[in-house]
Amino acid sequence: MRSIILQILAVTAINLKSLPQRLWLSLATVIAVGLVVTVLLAFLSMANGFRRTIADSGAEDIAVVLRSGAVSEINSVVLRDQVRLIEDGPGIARGPDGKPQTSGELYLTVNGIKRSTGTKASLPLRGLGPLGPGLRRGVVITAGRMFNPGTNEIIVGRALGKEFEGFELGQTVTFNSTRWSVVGIFAADGSVFESEIWADLPVLQSLFKRAGSVQTVRARLTSPAAIETLRAYSDNDPRLKLDVMSEAAYFAQQASNTSDLIQKLGWPLAIAMALGSLAGALNTMYSSVAARATEIATLRAIGFGGFSAFVGTLVESLILAAIGGVIGAAATYLVFDGFTASTMGASFSQVVFNFQLTPRLIGQGLLLALAVGLFGGLFPALRAARMPIVAGLYG
Amino acid sequence: MNDLVLIRKNLFRRKLRAILMMVSILIAFAIFAVLASFERAFNAGQDRATPDRLVVLNKINFTQPLPISYYNRVAAIDGVAQITHFSWFGGYYQEPRNFIAAFAVDPENWMKLRDTDFVFSPEARAAFIRERTGVLVGARMMEKWGWKVGDHIPISSSIWSQKSGSHAWDFIIVGSFTARIPQADTNVMLMGYDYFNETRSFGKDLISWLALRTTSVAANERVIEAIDGMFANSPYETTTDSEKAFSKAFAAQLGNIALIVELVVGAAFVTILMIVGNTMVMTVRERTREIGVLKTLGFSGGRILRMVLGESILLALLGGLPGLGVALLLITKVRDSLMNFVPALSLYPDIAAAAVGLMVVFGIITGLVPALNAMRLNIVTALGRS
Repeated sequence: MRSIILQILAVTAINLKSLPQRLWLSLATVIAVGLVVTVLLAFLSMANGFRRTIADSGAEDIAVVLRSGAVSEINSVVLRDQVRLIEDGPGIARGPDGKPQTSGELYLTVNGIKRSTGTKASLPLRGLGPLGPGLRRGVVITAGRMFNPGTNEIIVGRALGKEFEGFELGQTVTFNSTRWSVVGIFAADGSVFESEIWADLPVLQSLFKRAGSVQTVRARLTSPAAIETLRAYSDNDPRLKLDVMSEAAYFAQQASNTSDLIQKLGWPLAIAMALGSLAGALNTMYSSVAARATEIATLRAIGFGGFSAFVGTLVESLILAAIGGVIGAAATYLVFDGFTASTMGASFSQVVFNFQLTPRLIGQGLLLALAVGLFGGLFPALRAARMPIVAGLYG
Repeated sequence: MNDLVLIRKNLFRRKLRAILMMVSILIAFAIFAVLASFERAFNAGQDRATPDRLVVLNKINFTQPLPISYYNRVAAIDGVAQITHFSWFGGYYQEPRNFIAAFAVDPENWMKLRDTDFVFSPEARAAFIRERTGVLVGARMMEKWGWKVGDHIPISSSIWSQKSGSHAWDFIIVGSFTARIPQADTNVMLMGYDYFNETRSFGKDLISWLALRTTSVAANERVIEAIDGMFANSPYETTTDSEKAFSKAFAAQLGNIALIVELVVGAAFVTILMIVGNTMVMTVRERTREIGVLKTLGFSGGRILRMVLGESILLALLGGLPGLGVALLLITKVRDSLMNFVPALSLYPDIAAAAVGLMVVFGIITGLVPALNAMRLNIVTALGRS
């Protein structure tokens, strides 16, 4: 047993020390594997960042009420009477003054200009009541102040302000021949709300001719379980044709389509590229075996086993692939991690998000790299182990 | 034995190696063809739009409505040849996830305007104008849901509701239409605006946007100014744009698809270029002695150069052409599941042609260094090298 281990160590050392002789071919394999891992991780970190931004925005103890079948806020219409019925519904938390903790909200989209491309993009403009900001986690004004009720004032999410032009503090923007002043910038714990513009609900209702109706109602629940009570209440009242769901469930559903799509694009592409680089790895390792034919035969002639030749070749291949994987992961981390992008969310409006590379994703990337190394080394290693001694010595 | 035979024999001398390289080239070109077609289909809206087509949208955002009265006012503007209005229905069939692209339009004028994209039978044309509750359904949508002309179908709206409170409308399919040009998407449903407007419970007399054709491209500028000027400072200001520019801006909202495609295709090509290029250098080096013999026999340097280049180009074509086949297969397979997202997905002939061109370029690049080395090889060194 000990001798086998010693043999393996010796052969592996010889393999690795002879790498510089096959520098270019080995380097090609390393870089090929690195590129495969970079492509995979870029897609995965994009999908992950998008999903986290949206899915983390939702709380379990906040209910979102939409018109049934509306799917997203932009489609929904909730009428004045329905809002009242919901406010009186069971399971809704009440403030110290006895008022229900709810916020009827309008969700409109307005045009903005994306800084990076200079093209028009749809941005969400949310009209909310005085309780609205309090129903969201970590909302703080980072510059300026809150809008005053009844005025044409808006506050702008931090992420939106960075990505789109014209929403700096103190600026005036025009929607529909009415002028609005940006009086504050707000943060919301990195959630999707940072990609929104907020204004006073009644002002938006009158300027956009939506008097009386809202699009969604948000409500704080007495407990996450109270969602069932509220849903049952809504389902049993024929006047309420509404979908009641937790904010967490709402956002999870909003995020899933886009992030699934990104992942569905990323994996097949990376696997296809991995197959391409597998061909390269096989080539490299076969050449490595061919180049060392005499050496392997000599070792066999002096008593080394075929198994050590097998392991030596396999380890060489795995190490090349692992180096490629690490380079790919490092490149993705340096280039893409934290990279800010924006795309169209489910409500036809922009969501600003950052690419997020996590250890788990890096693990997946390295696993793919090692798979290339394993398969790329396996057959050449078998050839090395089975090589007839005589042929090797005369080769 | 002519040179071609020699090239072929050389290439397949090590069968496994040749096949491996072909596989990696195949994958790179399959990726190229699929992604390039994907990007093209994604931007098909821009390709379809002829320059004389304009859209009139609410200035705030395209999701904001316009009053129906704008229809006649814009139609009266000098330079407007044809015009129709659209209202977004937000349709779904049975379940909200079964999205149906449905619009309420002015039937007669919509068909006139889209005559360049779609083929309407005289019966369908007449029935769509005549039947108030009739809908016209594109061929691909009919196929997708297994509908036929005469079917009664309930279509729900995720936005609108009927005065009765119901979210669903019962329509009769009165006709279908097919695409006249490949980029035109027939996964779409059209309904008469009058019936829709009378039955919905809110938003009465509002539309989503206007689409029009000008008398000539030269009139565009003037028409745009006339329309936007007419509604300036009104409660519904407009922004008029070419359909092409609008489609482009809309597609750009999803992100820079072109850049992503370029990066991935670039990464795939760099990978293969390195692998194949290095292998070609190695292959030719192994043959040094033989090349020396060929030169001794009187093969000129130029002929040797051509032979090595021929080999690398042949390799690229043998790998790349099946790659195009694989791409075609893949595209046909995923076409239906991606119908909502990229309607006109197909392997475009010019992309295939570009791929073949790239194969030749790729062959030349990977073969150039070894070919030059072989050409310059000195007989004495060649035969002396072991």
